[in-house]
Amino acid sequence: MGWLRNRFEENFAITTIDWALNWARSNSVWPLTFGLACCAIEMMAAGASRFDLDRFGAGAFRATPRQADLMIVAGTVTFKMAARIRRLYEQMPEPKYVLAMGACTVGGGPYYKYGYHVVKGVDLIVPVDVYVPGCPPRPEALLEGLMRLQEKIRKETIAKKAEPA
Amino acid sequence: MPAEGGVELLQGLGIFALAAFLMAFVVLLIGKLIRPRTLSPAKTDAYECGEVPIGPGWVQFNLRFYVVALVFLIFDVEIALFYPWAVLYGGGLGAESAADLYALRRAALFDMLFFFGVIVVGFVYLWRFGYLDWVRVLTAREEPTDAAATGGVDLRGRSGVPQ
Repeated sequence: MGWLRNRFEENFAITTIDWALNWARSNSVWPLTFGLACCAIEMMAAGASRFDLDRFGAGAFRATPRQADLMIVAGTVTFKMAARIRRLYEQMPEPKYVLAMGACTVGGGPYYKYGYHVVKGVDLIVPVDVYVPGCPPRPEALLEGLMRLQEKIRKETIAKKAEPA
Repeated sequence: MPAEGGVELLQGLGIFALAAFLMAFVVLLIGKLIRPRTLSPAKTDAYECGEVPIGPGWVQFNLRFYVVALVFLIFDVEIALFYPWAVLYGGGLGAESAADLYALRRAALFDMLFFFGVIVVGFVYLWRFGYLDWVRVLTAREEPTDAAATGGVDLRGRSGVPQ
């Protein structure tokens, strides 16, 4: 972790740095170009001009995990794909976030009962920050998920945790 | 006073150099202080779309690809410059009289012929020395000393043998 992290108590300087950091991070959440199934079509629609993910600074889909902040898991996660997803997640630099898009990634969805090949939720593989349900979710739902993620990022702090009394 | 002017110049250069150094250094320092640094074997590994990479990234590539890139560059530069040249000067660029138009087009033509000549020299070189052939053979340059130089072994027709 960065040198500043967990080093100082919460004070004016630290909260100011927090504010600047979170402002920068929450408004440039670059997703990984990564679509697994039909939800990816809705993700593309969200990135295109009608819904325009770029209004929230998240329209720059990166072709390599080295430059990506957000992994939108859009679509059914099969067991064969699971290892690749884990590897891609591990190759992303911190801070990194995962958005589970659609019923399949949230918990198996329509494949929950008989899907012998489907992972029952991508949170079994990578830590998920935001769940967006739907089959598939509309682009508005994805935008909502992104805004929730931005809210989450804005609450981050590099201050030392208060010691339990 | 030239001496004082020189001092001022030095001062300016010094301030400029210092500012340039600080700008780069401060930005790098801020990044160093706030960025998380967690390296793992998977993160430092080569990226192959999520697959485990096969072999190291530092392998030798065949030098022939370099020549292919050069050949591409020749044609690329030609087409990139010929097309706007043809469109712009073919339209006359707003020349008023016929004589103007003639002079303009003649100048444009000879300019482009000169440029084309420069490019063609490279192209002829590639052609003459067989770089346009993917598999280079020795049949084009048959010399009686070849057999003697290789100890009686005939290398003709074999790929990868330097000429």
